[in-house]
Amino acid sequence: MRKIVAGSILLLAALCAWGSQMRSRGSSNAPIVIDVYSDFQCPACKMLHERTLGQLAYDYADKGKVYIVHHEYPLPMHAHAMEAACYACAASHVGKYQQVCDVLFRQQETWANNGKVDETVCSILTPDEAKKVRALAKDPAIVAEVKQDIQAGQSAQINQTPTMILTYRAKQYRIPGGNYDILRRFIDQLLSN
Amino acid sequence: MRYVLIVLRVALGIVLLYAAYTKLRQPWLLFAMSIDAYQILPEWAALTLGRTLPWMELALGALLATGFGLRYSAAAATALLGVFFGVMAWSFAKGMKIDCACFGFGEAIGPATLTRDAILLSLSITLTILTFRKVGQALPPANSGV
Repeated sequence: MRKIVAGSILLLAALCAWGSQMRSRGSSNAPIVIDVYSDFQCPACKMLHERTLGQLAYDYADKGKVYIVHHEYPLPMHAHAMEAACYACAASHVGKYQQVCDVLFRQQETWANNGKVDETVCSILTPDEAKKVRALAKDPAIVAEVKQDIQAGQSAQINQTPTMILTYRAKQYRIPGGNYDILRRFIDQLLSN
Repeated sequence: MRYVLIVLRVALGIVLLYAAYTKLRQPWLLFAMSIDAYQILPEWAALTLGRTLPWMELALGALLATGFGLRYSAAAATALLGVFFGVMAWSFAKGMKIDCACFGFGEAIGPATLTRDAILLSLSITLTILTFRKVGQALPPANSGV
């Protein structure tokens, strides 16, 4: 019995780690790691996604300088945030995480009001992918993956979304705001060290 | 009255010194980012303030704690805290979910941070009034000896 429980825990942890890896961008060997905690229903997270993260990924993550790791942090006050996070996690298992993030943030106001998360997500998927994502979004393993992210955020004392935590040479910096020009200056300064 | 004045200036001095310390131990660009997040100033101004404001707080805190130029330092602290409170209240009223950056990072603007700033501001106003009153009392009347 103990072996089964231990095995299940290990399997769940491995699934979560794998899931987190699928929601990341760049090389895990990059000198800088940025952990992003965000909520699909939060307007500030939409701004960060559209104005900062895309550019950051293009300029630094794709060049192997920064490793961006996305963490789901749905806030309890947002009625559909948890569902959206589960769908995004599920989409990461069919290789469509980035596209689903883009559509969820682009149409945030619409699905936040009418609650049609499924319709929004599936609008950019093929029928086969949509079927898989629908089933996965309700899978306890995916829900556990999201809850693991929430727990990680709570242990990192995340009290607002979005929050970015930059790690460089074992030192952590909480990034306030999302001004890309200043963030770029900061990253360049770290990299030039 | 003398002791009230000492307690007030030392307490405010320590608060400002601590605020400066929490900012100076972090890279200045991060503080500039948190100023920029208020969306009030242009980027160049946020960068300039990010570099200079912690040093201003440090100087002001040291002046208050030691009591040098008390009238001016108390008035300057009141002006500074007044600006901080105004900006924070404005951002909170607008529903902005941003970092306060008062004492380091990771503290969102909310009722608790606003109350704390309001208390500090009222203490600073009291100190300024007391220092001006004290100077006014210490001066001889304008027509004395006539």
